[in-house]
Amino acid sequence: MKHISPHQVAGESSVKMPTRRALAKQQTRAKVLAAARRLFSESGYEGATIRDIAAEAGMSTGAVFANFTDKSDLFREIMGADMASLTDAMREAAGRGRGVEDILLKMFTAGYAFYKGQLPLARAAFSVSWAPQDGPVLRNAPQVSKLQDLITEQLALGVQRGELSQESEIKLRSQMLFDAYLSNYPQAIFEGWSLDALQARARDQIRILLAGARRG
Amino acid sequence: MAPSPRQTRKAATRQRVIEAARELFDTQGYQGTTIREIASHAGVSVGSVFTTFASKGEILSEVMEERLEGFYAELDRLVPHLRGSTADRLRSIYAIFFSVEAPRTRLFLSHIAAAFDWTLPPTARPYGRNDRVRALLMETLIQGVSAGDVDPETDLAGVVELLIAVYGWTYHMVVTEGADTKTMTATMDRQIGLIADGFRPR
Repeated sequence: MKHISPHQVAGESSVKMPTRRALAKQQTRAKVLAAARRLFSESGYEGATIRDIAAEAGMSTGAVFANFTDKSDLFREIMGADMASLTDAMREAAGRGRGVEDILLKMFTAGYAFYKGQLPLARAAFSVSWAPQDGPVLRNAPQVSKLQDLITEQLALGVQRGELSQESEIKLRSQMLFDAYLSNYPQAIFEGWSLDALQARARDQIRILLAGARRG
Repeated sequence: MAPSPRQTRKAATRQRVIEAARELFDTQGYQGTTIREIASHAGVSVGSVFTTFASKGEILSEVMEERLEGFYAELDRLVPHLRGSTADRLRSIYAIFFSVEAPRTRLFLSHIAAAFDWTLPPTARPYGRNDRVRALLMETLIQGVSAGDVDPETDLAGVVELLIAVYGWTYHMVVTEGADTKTMTATMDRQIGLIADGFRPR
């Protein structure tokens, strides 16, 4: 990320630079987001209030509301940023795999590794994703769709390479693979499964879900 | 030993709270119901709700548990009589699940969300941490191994988790796509078929 000091801004006024005001706003947003991330991880989505988040960030609730419409907006912003980095990590992992099964396993493992250090936030995200109101908004967020598209893309490539049959029911199968990926998080969150254990379980599930699509 | 009057009173309060919560959750949803409303509907004080339950999440978990209690007994009776392939028997089991849970989809979604709730006590049995459902599915798969239509090499626990995960997802279809029970059941049938392709001996 680029950091620009106010001095530079003043000195290069001819170049299109963010105004001092825009910078201050950006800093406020970043501070609120960092505070919110801490509190969501500590007390969950329901447990963290805007008032607590404002106090944690050292500002008024008014200042928080000037930057975010509500708590769910704040949470979506955090998850959106994480999902974007996660998608990058998974895409990179996919590039290292050989064959559909290995590619998917590397992608899933990259995901588990990404969240290993921030499981409480993942837990809050699961809780929100199942809430009747906020859930669909989070699940249908473009960043989440991209993650799912990544799986679909790999299945389509598998068909192209002739690894999987043409009648692979790609849409349903990739949805199920995504569910399988998510289904192992509770074990990580509540039972402290290691990365190896998660990977072993994911491998078995990927095998099961691909078996019917294999050619020959 | 007979329970003391105090224990009896406590049990009665508990039951009244659960019944009031069940009615309110059914009519106005989990999110839209406050502890205060539950207390007033049950005719008890907010304080006595909190001496009995740690949170709204725990009340929901109890409501669902109680609702499922009779249903499990029925399932235990029916399952030994199910016929057909393992995939067909799993489909029948899930058809029974849908018949009980699908009429209250949104409540069921809240029930799944509660599995990740911060305030749940360890004794609560939210979605996905229900050992009875797990045991039932596992038993069905083990029978399949003996019957010869499930590969003994299969990671059966992995299959159980898959089934639980994809079943949960069919409830999401209601909210995201407005799916009805028929669509949900049909999707689950296809998902089971796809999983069965993976555990069939080859």
